[in-house]
Amino acid sequence: MLKVKNLRTSYGKNEILKGLDFEVSKEDIVAVIGESGTGKTTLALAIMGLLRYQQDNVKISGEIVFNGIDLSRLKEDELKKIRWSKISIVFQNVDNILNPVIPVFKQIKEILNSNDGTSIINDMLEKMDFPVSRAYAYPYQLSMGEKQKVMLAMAYILNPEFVILDEPTSALDFESKNNLIKIIKELSSQKAVLLATHDLDTAQNISNKTVVLYGGNIIESGSTKDVFTNPRHPYTRGLIRSYPSETRTKDLQGIKGNPGFTDNGCCFWPRCTQAIQICKEEKPLLTESNGRKIACHRYGIIPLVSVSRIKKTYENRSILKSISFDVYEGETLTILGRSGSGKTTLAKIIMGLIKPDDGEICLENMKVTCWDSAFYKKVQMIFQDTRAALSHRLNILESVTEPLLIQKCKSNEEMVDAAKQVLSEVGLPGSDDFLYSYPHHLSGGELQRVVIARALILSPRVLIADEPTSALDPSIQAKVLKLLNQIQEQRGLGMLFITHDLGVARKVSDRVMEINNGILKEKILR
Amino acid sequence: MNKRWVSYIIAFFIIISLNFAIPRLLPGDPVSAIYGEDVMVKLSEDVKEYINSAYNIDKPVISQYFLYLASLFKGNLGYSLYYKQSVGKLLMSYMPFTLLLMGLAVIISSFFAFILGIESGWRRGKKIDLFLLYSIIISSGFPSFFIAALFLIFFGITLGALPMQGARTAYSGFTGFGITSDFLKHLVLPLSSLIFILIPPGYFLTRNAMLSNIKEPYILLARAKGLSDSKIRYGHAGRNSLIPFVTQTGMRMGTIIVTGSLFIEMVFSYPGMGSLIYNSILNRDYPVLQGSLLIVTFLVLIINFFMDILYVKIDPRIKYAH
Ligand code: SF4
Repeated sequence: MLKVKNLRTSYGKNEILKGLDFEVSKEDIVAVIGESGTGKTTLALAIMGLLRYQQDNVKISGEIVFNGIDLSRLKEDELKKIRWSKISIVFQNVDNILNPVIPVFKQIKEILNSNDGTSIINDMLEKMDFPVSRAYAYPYQLSMGEKQKVMLAMAYILNPEFVILDEPTSALDFESKNNLIKIIKELSSQKAVLLATHDLDTAQNISNKTVVLYGGNIIESGSTKDVFTNPRHPYTRGLIRSYPSETRTKDLQGIKGNPGFTDNGCCFWPRCTQAIQICKEEKPLLTESNGRKIACHRYGIIPLVSVSRIKKTYENRSILKSISFDVYEGETLTILGRSGSGKTTLAKIIMGLIKPDDGEICLENMKVTCWDSAFYKKVQMIFQDTRAALSHRLNILESVTEPLLIQKCKSNEEMVDAAKQVLSEVGLPGSDDFLYSYPHHLSGGELQRVVIARALILSPRVLIADEPTSALDPSIQAKVLKLLNQIQEQRGLGMLFITHDLGVARKVSDRVMEINNGILKEKILR
Repeated sequence: MNKRWVSYIIAFFIIISLNFAIPRLLPGDPVSAIYGEDVMVKLSEDVKEYINSAYNIDKPVISQYFLYLASLFKGNLGYSLYYKQSVGKLLMSYMPFTLLLMGLAVIISSFFAFILGIESGWRRGKKIDLFLLYSIIISSGFPSFFIAALFLIFFGITLGALPMQGARTAYSGFTGFGITSDFLKHLVLPLSSLIFILIPPGYFLTRNAMLSNIKEPYILLARAKGLSDSKIRYGHAGRNSLIPFVTQTGMRMGTIIVTGSLFIEMVFSYPGMGSLIYNSILNRDYPVLQGSLLIVTFLVLIINFFMDILYVKIDPRIKYAH
């Protein structure tokens, strides 16, 4: 029905859409999601052929093929025939989107060419559950929800084949939003719909396909269900994580840095925690695999640690029976289990402290054969018992810089600087007083932070945290968990979180797996 | 609306009370203040009585005030010694010309200003727009009496096509159709120069309103709906530009009356209120001056009142805000 090919638009030197390719077929509802300023509205206007009314010096290249006709090449009067009768739009509900001095009924009626549209309009309004008597009101007398219904009534009244919805549910309260979503679904059957929104709930509820836009580029697309349950592009994941949805339990997490798009390389690299050299130089192409399209040099979020078929038997008791899982970049995977379920054994196996009977461990897709300093540079662990983890004979500075000493990679001053930096990252002072104090001077919360700082000083990619907060008071625990969350957002740390506490698991995890009788199972949290 | 009524009535009473108070606050008694020191000596008995009955100087101030109100409502505005006529009658004979001239000028100029403004704003930056814009800017730079004089010289003297002054040809003996056409011919010059003077402000305002209105989201929606150009231009953008236009015209009404009557009527010796006021100033004919000003303010008040009703009609949001 609608096929967009390499669509580029610019105002003067300012390029907004940077080569979009996607398709909307009949009965498809395609959600275009992304933050404001990514070009969603521009896309909607480009399809309607209205862009040049919005801004001067508009340039459009590429194709917008609708039923075989390239809309971008049509003249204004040819477009007029297609507009609304074939393609209609529900604009974002901004002030003055409806003419303030004309009763809304008249504004709907002017669409119908015939003089006798009243019954058609009344039918339509009835379908929307909109009292017909209210239709003679002026826009300022209507609530946001009512205005939105008026606009929907307008958009669907000529029964067009293709409808564009631009933020149809923004600025609505919860109830009106759900009500409207229901109406949109009903009206949209048998039609092709493009839904531009930053409201992920709406997108997830209405659409069957999703296109994720960032900085005028499509960075990921696929079926809505896939994209939302298993986002593969770091940006998509960040977007979903930062959205307060009804079902997510993990604390909200933002995306590092500020929205700002670069034109060199991947548009997301300044904010991407797994960017590599090529990301800064070359723009990744949208490539397809398994029905999902993704634009990333690393084919999406990378698995940092992959554990496969790990087995361990102790005194004839099989503790781990063929355990496999991946920990991805920037995610927290929680292993939930009772004490004695083998979860600590598992962590120690990954750290190379215990040898498994069978199975292998890969780090960034490379099989780990020996646990040398290179491995520990990338994988660090924090333990439950902080007092045991820190030697009482070393002061804070010495404790924190200990890993650097082992790696022998920095001069003395550099080590002090690095220590001060990680300490400030975990919210501890970098003063000499503090640096030269000893563990017994510090509180439990402070000690745990020192331990975290020590784990972070090598900038590891993976942090394995074994009950890191179980010894802390709840108020301190909350602070430490928040801190870990924050560090993850900034560094893209992959975290393997080991706990027996379901409440903690709910708050910190992207995914939770439960270990029981040596078997690991995905646990869905609601 | 009720509140408005009250404020109009209050304004009305303030005006007539001022009219009552001013001659009485001047030094001496009001009659000599208005008619001059020696007036009582020169006048015939009838006139004296007429004047005395109008001013009632021998009565206390309060009853003077009520008697003044009573005579005012009877249409007694005083007596002009210069014209030897009651002021009320005098005004009745001058008023219609002004009303006609002003009414026509306001209606016709508003129509053109609005249409030109819409077309010009809609075609922003195109040739027609620039042509209209610059020519109207230039023409609005001239003072109004200058324009009137230009019209007078060009059409009246150079072309000799139109009568240059008055409202009708004296002693012409025209009858029937002749009277009407003679009357209309006399109207052409003052009317067209007044229209010419009144167009620019309305045009500029409408054009500006259009420029901002065509950027409004509802215009984008109207375009998306595939409406015809003229429907978008007049039905949507123009409809909204009407609001500031009417507001501005309402506010300018006072100025329009002054420019209209005073300058234009003076230049063309058109026998309206402007000429009357002008002459009464020259002749120190205070009763006429006082009466005319009272009537003019009253007129402005009435126009404002109708404007208020009109605002609500064209901008439904106003009613809501009250
Ligand atoms: S890994 Fe590179 S290409 Fe992929 S999203 Fe990050 S910066 Fe972009």
